[in-house]
Amino acid sequence: MTVSVTPATFSYVAFDAELIRSIAAGLLAALGMADHDVTIDVDETTPLARISCTIDESIHVHVDSGAFEDTRKPRQQSETATATALGRVLLRARDRLVGGFGEAPPDKELSLAQVAAWETYCIGRLQRFGVPVNQQRWRYNFRNRHGFSDATDAAFEQIWTSDGLTWDQLNAISESAAASAHA
Amino acid sequence: MRKFFPVEELARDERFNKITMRDRMGDPRTALNVSNDAPAKRPTNLRLTPDRSDASDGARSLMHGIFVGEIQALEGAGRTCWDFETGTEAPFALKLDMARQCWDEARHVEISVKLSDWMGGEIGQYAENTVLFEAACSTDPVLRLAGVNRALEGLAIDVFTTMKEFGDLAGDPYLEFCEDWMLADEVTHVKMGSDWLRKITEHDPDRRKKALEFQSVVDKLFSYGGTRSESQESPIGLARRFRELAGFTDDEVDDIAQLSMQALNERKSAVAQARADQMRDAAAQFATSAAAE
Amino acid sequence: MADPYKPRAPFAPWDRRTLPGIFDVEESARRVGNYKWAEMKLFEALGGWVATVPELDVKMRLGTHCYKHAWHAELWHKRLPELREMNPERLTAPANDAMVRFVEAMTEPEAPEQTIEKLVGVYRVFIPRFIAAYTYHLNGTSEITDAPTVRSLKFILQDEFDDWRDGEMILQSLIETPEEASRAAAHMQQLEAIMIEAGGIAGVGTLGAS
Ligand SMILES: [Fe+2]
Ligand SMILES: [Fe+2]
Repeated sequence: MTVSVTPATFSYVAFDAELIRSIAAGLLAALGMADHDVTIDVDETTPLARISCTIDESIHVHVDSGAFEDTRKPRQQSETATATALGRVLLRARDRLVGGFGEAPPDKELSLAQVAAWETYCIGRLQRFGVPVNQQRWRYNFRNRHGFSDATDAAFEQIWTSDGLTWDQLNAISESAAASAHA
Repeated sequence: MRKFFPVEELARDERFNKITMRDRMGDPRTALNVSNDAPAKRPTNLRLTPDRSDASDGARSLMHGIFVGEIQALEGAGRTCWDFETGTEAPFALKLDMARQCWDEARHVEISVKLSDWMGGEIGQYAENTVLFEAACSTDPVLRLAGVNRALEGLAIDVFTTMKEFGDLAGDPYLEFCEDWMLADEVTHVKMGSDWLRKITEHDPDRRKKALEFQSVVDKLFSYGGTRSESQESPIGLARRFRELAGFTDDEVDDIAQLSMQALNERKSAVAQARADQMRDAAAQFATSAAAE
Repeated sequence: MADPYKPRAPFAPWDRRTLPGIFDVEESARRVGNYKWAEMKLFEALGGWVATVPELDVKMRLGTHCYKHAWHAELWHKRLPELREMNPERLTAPANDAMVRFVEAMTEPEAPEQTIEKLVGVYRVFIPRFIAAYTYHLNGTSEITDAPTVRSLKFILQDEFDDWRDGEMILQSLIETPEEASRAAAHMQQLEAIMIEAGGIAGVGTLGAS
């Protein structure tokens, strides 16, 4: 396993490439992905917090600096934010790599509801790996994408506590939540 | 207790991290679309609506901004009760209005805490920009009312309108409801500012001019980076109808719209310049190291 | 239904209000002027302190209570012309010099570590004195001739009791050690000494002839 981070030194933000690398390496080991190489490309010119990833022989993560930032201290890095953001995309990559997610559309074609459902699935598992998360943050995101209803909340709980879902199962829960909320 | 309280000493518990406008302006990054950068890289529509991919995070961050803004509005109104001698420096009725505003802002803090919680936010999760209280530090109560009640609370009207629409579109039952109530209070506060400005400076055109200039400075500061304007590139829109209810004339709203667009464009060209400088430096560095090899 | 033309007593059997009161118009106006001055000083101090206290719940309570005392000041301000004082500012005054010194001493604490002192001054000394002065006025004034003052006193007393309870509960939650209890007591003692000299919100005789 190799993890490479660019840039090696940051000028817009006070981030530590080595810290990013070691957090990623730790996550890869914990997620059983130690046999994968990962490149992490940080766009430090924007405070936005988008993160995406492409997979070929390696996993390539593209991330805006806001995703790793300590929101309390602008331009400083947060270990928790870094672990949450990386864990989220790495778990999604793992889902695609280990199977069961062959039917999932490419990341760019996922609907906002599908993204929210998949993120819920990732963050729930990430919490069980010991990464500190605020569950209400993700519940709110899920509600925003599926409607504010008891059915939505039940779907969220189901996804959050699941481990071995396939894409079809995940998508079905998401679709039925959205349908009942908008009924 | 002193008269006139310095912004640096605003009391906060350990969860909060205060930053100044200078800190914020020192951040070279920008979320704006800048033409000389890769054009497709950044979205042009940054208005905070539920269809933005980062909508929940954006709304949560804005809610925290509202929360600390309410604290500072509460503190500012409170200081106006204390800093000025009744009668000689500020009319009794003006101070009663400020005390009323204290209660309203205290309620707004309560509402924002509950809403933040509901949205999965945490107290102190984001840095607190203290620029709002700075506008409340003027030694002339009329300037304070122009800067705080008309500029700052005017911005609050814009922010709450954007948030109310967000809640409405997302179907969030609490967000839309609460923002609507807070909006009613803020319209009242802006109107207080408009009414007192006119009343106190009725026979003092110089003081009125100074107050309006101060308001314009504050308005521009709050439009810094193009955060609020009528352009879709700004996360927060300009709420014309509610501003009219609050005593702004059409011309005044037009002026703010123009000023905000100017701030947006200034920020964009500053960023473009910074990017160009950085590329030039990088090229020079590359040339130097290539020559050394 | 009873015959509407049958004479009825103007005061129903359950209406036990009586005519006599212990204040004439002038004394009533003097007291109301003192009340207004004291309520003003209180709302100004509460407003000023908001920025100086780090505790978020205290900040919000002070902001809320600030308005209530401003409203009380406004009620008294409006009552003064009805008590033949056409220039309300003339009677908007401290009962005596000691009251001025009391307010100065009460508003002295500013540091963020002095929330206990700030709250002790307001909720353990000043507000109990308001409650006492207002209760004395309520019990002593004519229930018939001075009904407008009685009505305001009842509204205001309700606020004072609510706010006193709020403040006292916050204090109990802030005072955690014997040292802090001593601090609270020492500050209270210092302020009480000045208040004794002042004689109360309306000066010597606030609670009747001494
Ligand atoms: Fe507010
Ligand atoms: Fe306001």
